[in-house]
Amino acid sequence: MNRIVVDGATKRFGFGALTVFAELELEVRDKETLCILGPSGCGKTTLLRCMHGLARLDDGRVLIDDVEVRAPRRNVAMVFQHFGLMPWKRVAENVAYGVELAGLAREQVSERVSRYTEMVGLKGFERSYPYQLSGGMQQRAGLARALALEPDILLMDEPFGSLDAQTREILQDELLRILQTPGVRGGGAPSTVVFITHSIEEAIALGDRIVVLTSRPARVRETITVDIPRPRTVAGVVAHPRFVELRDQCWRLLRERMTA
Amino acid sequence: MTETVTRQARKTEGGVGLGDGLAPTLDPEVAVVRARTVTPDLRRRLLSGDLAIRAASVIAVLAIWEFFGPSLNRLILRPPSQIVAAFFDLLGNGELQVALVQSVRMMAIGFSIALVAGLFIGIASGRWRILFNVLDPWVSALYSVPAVALVPLIAVAFRYEGELPHIATIALFAIFPILINTQQGVRNIDPGLMEVARAFNTSERRLWLDVIVPSAMPFILAGVRLAIGRALIGMIVAQFLISLLGLGYLIVVYQNTFRIDKMFVPVIVVSALGVVLMGLVQFVEGRVAPWLRREQ
Repeated sequence: MNRIVVDGATKRFGFGALTVFAELELEVRDKETLCILGPSGCGKTTLLRCMHGLARLDDGRVLIDDVEVRAPRRNVAMVFQHFGLMPWKRVAENVAYGVELAGLAREQVSERVSRYTEMVGLKGFERSYPYQLSGGMQQRAGLARALALEPDILLMDEPFGSLDAQTREILQDELLRILQTPGVRGGGAPSTVVFITHSIEEAIALGDRIVVLTSRPARVRETITVDIPRPRTVAGVVAHPRFVELRDQCWRLLRERMTA
Repeated sequence: MTETVTRQARKTEGGVGLGDGLAPTLDPEVAVVRARTVTPDLRRRLLSGDLAIRAASVIAVLAIWEFFGPSLNRLILRPPSQIVAAFFDLLGNGELQVALVQSVRMMAIGFSIALVAGLFIGIASGRWRILFNVLDPWVSALYSVPAVALVPLIAVAFRYEGELPHIATIALFAIFPILINTQQGVRNIDPGLMEVARAFNTSERRLWLDVIVPSAMPFILAGVRLAIGRALIGMIVAQFLISLLGLGYLIVVYQNTFRIDKMFVPVIVVSALGVVLMGLVQFVEGRVAPWLRREQ
């Protein structure tokens, strides 16, 4: 069953002078993690923004559960590459932001805040301001803010792109752990994930399927199924015999278009 | 005492400006360590003699003034001891209190008007482009006219009626830094944060409270600081040019009677007023924007 369908999506910038992607077709299945992999500047972020109704397509449409997306929905949450924390809010207030706007009662808000700050490993930092945290910890807060909404679709826009390699791998493992927790993955909270990345390794580690985009104007080059069993860890995936083949396959697909 | 000294030290070291809107990332451990090192840092400053040199400079100049000033120019360079005596004279006969209360009252009303109007117009025109385009030519034009040149006009417009033209002058002097800074603050909001707010389905009211006002806060506070200095100028100028009231009145009266020692008293009181008001802003800043008060 498809949760998200991108149907003939076209986006142009600069009064039509620049086509970022054209007639893009892809679908995101229920309870899968779909990684969208593509070279820089191919409109991955724009595509994700369109999926959340933050940007308009010039042509085509995005459907979530068969309804066209026009504005952000309550059951969809987003994690940003730039973390998007409010510097004037403490960690707990940042995590509470989405659920407060969703109109939950105060006790429910504080219950969710404590549950999800703990889940992302920020227990004890509730009263810290973002500037007091490292980049990795800031993104943990960004993740908690999205998870606290208990969305059934999670959109992640290169969330670990600005982190150093080690922090990045730690957070990839944390994300795998969180999404693989039975209570979360099975019970309502984000069952379907769209993850934008330009890192091949990250796409293989996290994704059930990988959509490889071409460079501008982007189209779907190929969709790859990652046949590495779950539960996964980053180290486990890298050590898996299929990893190297998948990586080479992705690499070839990406490079093909770049040199052309 | 320690707190005052640290703040003073921080202020002299580049202090809080517009640049520190974005946070450098640092670990909580590091933050804690930094907070603890404030005291040794202060001790080092004391040992290195910064404060000693400052104190010595003040004392030396005052001493030279006291002992050699009168021999250079007996009329103008009245010794500091006489100024202190004049201060208690003016306090004793109540002249100073009356003038101070009158000045502070006009300042408070005029500045409050400037603050409310400046914030409101600044936020609204920063948020809505149409309003910005409507107002900007007028704001730019009025801001570039030296405000002093408009004081006679204000005097006539308010028919020299008591304190009203004074209050209007103070408001005119103070409003533009607040308005323009607020406007710039709102226009400079990180689009990323605006997008986050939209992504979480914000309402317009919550958008103002959660994002717009806190984002613009460093700009607003910088504007308020600038406005305090300008408002004090406006206050004194009005008291000179419109009608003799308050501390300006004292300055003119004692200038005309060549009591330079007494003339110095209101001058020093005005500058003390400025220092107090700046301290007040710093205090308010700590309350409304605690995230700005961090070690760089």
